[in-house]
Amino acid sequence: MTVAQHDAMPAAISVRNLDFYYGAHHALKDISIDFPQGQVTGMIGPSGCGKSTLLRVLNRMYDLYPGQRATGEVIFDGCNIIGPKVNLNVLRSRVGMVFQKPTPFPMSIYDNIAFGVRLHERLDRAAMEARVEDVLRRVALWPEVRDRLRDSAAALSGGQQQRLCIARTIATRPEVVLLDEPTSALDPVSTARIEELLDELKADFTIAIVTHNLQQAARCADQVAFFYMGEVVEVDSADRMFTTPREKRTQDYITGRFG
Amino acid sequence: MTTHTITPAAQAAPCSGTRWQGNGVSDIRRRMVDRVATALCWAATVLVLLMLFSILFVLVRNGVGGLRWVTFVHVTLPPGQAGGLANAIVGSLIQTGLAVLIGAPVGLLVGIYLAEFTATDGKLINFVRFVSDLLLSAPSILVGLFIYMIVVVPSGHFSGLAGALALSMLVVPVVVRTTEDMLRLVPLAMREAAIALGAPRWRMILFVCLRAAREGVATGILLALARVSGETAPLLFTSLGNMNWSIAPGKPMASLPVTIYQYAGAAYADWTALAWTGALLITAGILMINITVRLGLGRNRK
Repeated sequence: MTVAQHDAMPAAISVRNLDFYYGAHHALKDISIDFPQGQVTGMIGPSGCGKSTLLRVLNRMYDLYPGQRATGEVIFDGCNIIGPKVNLNVLRSRVGMVFQKPTPFPMSIYDNIAFGVRLHERLDRAAMEARVEDVLRRVALWPEVRDRLRDSAAALSGGQQQRLCIARTIATRPEVVLLDEPTSALDPVSTARIEELLDELKADFTIAIVTHNLQQAARCADQVAFFYMGEVVEVDSADRMFTTPREKRTQDYITGRFG
Repeated sequence: MTTHTITPAAQAAPCSGTRWQGNGVSDIRRRMVDRVATALCWAATVLVLLMLFSILFVLVRNGVGGLRWVTFVHVTLPPGQAGGLANAIVGSLIQTGLAVLIGAPVGLLVGIYLAEFTATDGKLINFVRFVSDLLLSAPSILVGLFIYMIVVVPSGHFSGLAGALALSMLVVPVVVRTTEDMLRLVPLAMREAAIALGAPRWRMILFVCLRAAREGVATGILLALARVSGETAPLLFTSLGNMNWSIAPGKPMASLPVTIYQYAGAAYADWTALAWTGALLITAGILMINITVRLGLGRNRK
């Protein structure tokens, strides 16, 4: 497989010859893919094909679990982040992640955002308030929560919680935002709002999104990668991927013949 | 706009055809079994409630007479003089309070260890959990003897502190168990979300997991408090009891359970009456703790 060279944007993250193992299970097989700066890369493929696994390599989430290991190269800002001397807390502040189910912390809306910021920056009260307002505006949550920042985040609806989680993630000013099926637990209206949001966010962040919803990939992504059985079968622009896929397996998947 | 046309249902007939009869024999049997089982459940429930309320009834009947001002402000006195329980009440508060202050942090830390470090220290964790569960079911008099051997004998005298230490050994396993169970209920996704923000593990545990589990953890501590506030055996060889007013933790200290133990078997009517009052006070205290826990959990579920 060759890495697609379809646009001129430099890669924010370059993955080269990546293998990943859950114990003895070989989950990613010799993967190479670029995540171009300021673009949305959609990752599609059947369940268990390795999309989420790759996402969890990019912020070293797998480090939490002994027995999971990666070999190869993942170059971010000139450094192989799966190497041994990486400061994981700094890496995770630069490569943020949003999960499938909204995961508000058991604290106020304000503290949910301040929690992440305080980990990496010392801001005075006014600066923190400005940061909280800024990110809440960016995820279009500000009008809904401005009067109840001190209330528990658990009281928000599912869609609001997910937007709060995105706000929380971008509040640490990462360069890359990873989203693992961020709308699969949401209703269509909330989903649409998050998709609009992605379009605005890509001006400032490089985005990688795993989705089972092919329409979502077609709507949101600039570049789409098709995963199958632990391999990247094809990477191409969204337009080409969904109209003229080069690989038979890609075509079978996007037309619903398997998966 | 088109509307739904609703046709009348087929004429309703009584449900008496052969397909409505079922298998007659097993049907009767099933109903019999159901009735008997239900009756047994009811009988058992009534029996338990009867026992509980008869205990409460006798406690209140015999103890309520002693709920006088003098009981709370006077220390225990020789029979015939109008004594109270002030030293026992305060001694119990000090010893159970100290026991929770010593035992709860230890239990909390062990519970955190058991819940949060499974991935790396699996075998050791199983062993620690086993030991903690043993302690949970250890006879409390053994705990008293143990503290007697390692604290009272070397120091040469009984003390309220030794009593508190003995009680704290009963607090620890209760808090360990509830803390571990409550932390395990915190979803993995929430932990990962904290880590994904770049939080070091200790901050994730302290500020996210413990915070999510705080009501449950607090409940465990309260339940441990309720558990030890009625314990007598661990105090017999440790704080001993004290007829006089003493709040020095280094000296023998009175407590409600030990005073009840001494007074209930006595031949003097006024002592027996005070024992009943002491028992009523402990029971009311434990009841109040349990009700607090219930209300807390109820509010939590909403």
